[in-house]
Amino acid sequence: MGWRQRNAIPDLGVGVGFRTPHVTHVLSQRPPMEWFEIISENYFAEGGIQRANLERLASAYRVVPHGVSLSIGGTDALDTKYLARLRDLVQRLDAPWCSDHLCFTGWGGVDVHDLLPMPMTRESLAHVVERVKRVQGTIERPFALENASSYLEWRGSTMAEHDFLAEIAERADCGILLDVNNVYVSAYNHGFDARAYVDAIPADRVAQIHVAGHTDKGGYLLDTHSAHVRDEVWDLYRRALRRAGPTSTLVEWDEDIPAWDVLAAEAERTRAVRAEALGGAAAARKEGEWVTAS
Amino acid sequence: MGDGQLEQLQRFVVDAIRGGPSPVEPEHVRESARGMTPAERVEVYREQYRIRHHKNLADDYPTLAWAIGGAEPFTGLVDEYLAAHPPRTWDLQRLGADMPEFVGNHAKWGSSARACDAARLDWAFMEIFDAPDAPPFDTSVLASTPEDRWPEARIELLPALRLVAMQSALQQVRDALRAGHQPAEPPQAETRVVVWRDKACFLRHVAVDPGAYDLLARLRAGDPLGPACEAAARAAGEDAARFGERVGAWFAQWTANAWIARVHV
Repeated sequence: MGWRQRNAIPDLGVGVGFRTPHVTHVLSQRPPMEWFEIISENYFAEGGIQRANLERLASAYRVVPHGVSLSIGGTDALDTKYLARLRDLVQRLDAPWCSDHLCFTGWGGVDVHDLLPMPMTRESLAHVVERVKRVQGTIERPFALENASSYLEWRGSTMAEHDFLAEIAERADCGILLDVNNVYVSAYNHGFDARAYVDAIPADRVAQIHVAGHTDKGGYLLDTHSAHVRDEVWDLYRRALRRAGPTSTLVEWDEDIPAWDVLAAEAERTRAVRAEALGGAAAARKEGEWVTAS
Repeated sequence: MGDGQLEQLQRFVVDAIRGGPSPVEPEHVRESARGMTPAERVEVYREQYRIRHHKNLADDYPTLAWAIGGAEPFTGLVDEYLAAHPPRTWDLQRLGADMPEFVGNHAKWGSSARACDAARLDWAFMEIFDAPDAPPFDTSVLASTPEDRWPEARIELLPALRLVAMQSALQQVRDALRAGHQPAEPPQAETRVVVWRDKACFLRHVAVDPGAYDLLARLRAGDPLGPACEAAARAAGEDAARFGERVGAWFAQWTANAWIARVHV
């Protein structure tokens, strides 16, 4: 039995990120959307508007937390207070899984709030595996690691990123959040084959897929989540779906955030691409199954 | 790469991103397939570090930025701040936690009451944004508490409430900036402001009487009501009985604003 089956990871369909410009619309109008992803750390506080809004959101939609600051690859000790808050959040939401990035975010107590690439070595691999096990043991929910976009490569790396990620997932027995835009961005920046990357990811461990837009900075691509999904990324999405089957998919749009209708249309396009990639029955299963507020 | 090199590399890149003078050691980083040098590749992260944290602090400190003359001097101040106080928590809401003290000790701005007041005002709003919620105040305690027990009562204020004393009405500047307007010069007068998050989670502020402010500060410090009132009356140079009458009116307002979380008798 594969990881997804063992952990009863559901296919939630296509969702979007819950972001500030849309909060009033979403909470007051409760538009059709199959699920929402939240940035975990924004909802760790003991009070205030964020927590209140999350309670209202979760009363109407499925919500999955996605972190940016766990620093699973960091050499600083795992932050036990952070983990306690993550555990509390995951349990409050009864989330089917939660996720963060395969990266480190700081060193020596300094948090640079970025997703820094790991040197892909046996030492790193063992280090991350150990920490993922600790995280999963603490939060008592399935945990998925996302491949991050990156802009530099370490000379000391001895493994391809897809092998590194796949082996971590296997040895730590965790899931994978496959961000196909990140695959595309890193493939462009580092000159590897994006399709081979997608093909190397163990399909039965893919808990979720991210799609997003990026920015061409001339010389490199920057993962800005500030635009429509590019055709090349849709192609990778189709490829991933054909391997993994129906998989919860999230449209990320975090800068230059458009009006709700534009974002909803991007989600609708994602559904169309998904239906086309999966074909027939698997895609049709989702039709008419909107999570609509009561 | 051998044992221990993971930490070494992490230290290298974090130091490089934070802007060390000559941080790039090319042996650590590959040139890109598209011709970017190791230094250029690290620069991508350095630039994002700076953009992200400058934007964050600009959002958090609009009044301070105005008080010191706008975007250009604020950029310089933030560069100095980030060098002295690099982010040490995952919580970006807390990135500017040391700014009021930093401004207070700053060679140029430490002597500017306007800059120091603005920093404390902006940070008060940051703190109340996600301060813990309080259960609704049980107003029945007001009627059920015997009169002779009130002097020893300790009043617990809302966790999401801060007191800010300033030498000018900078809260008006903050309001204007947040509304997208050019602020007028604020009235130059001692100003006492209560900043709080209301039941609907709106962030609010109101200027209060200096006597009320002093009493709130003493209550917040844990003084019992009776001694706090006596001390505040003395500080205001007022007769205790007359001050007590004013306290009654203030309490009605504080209760209406839900500033009182609990009364411990």
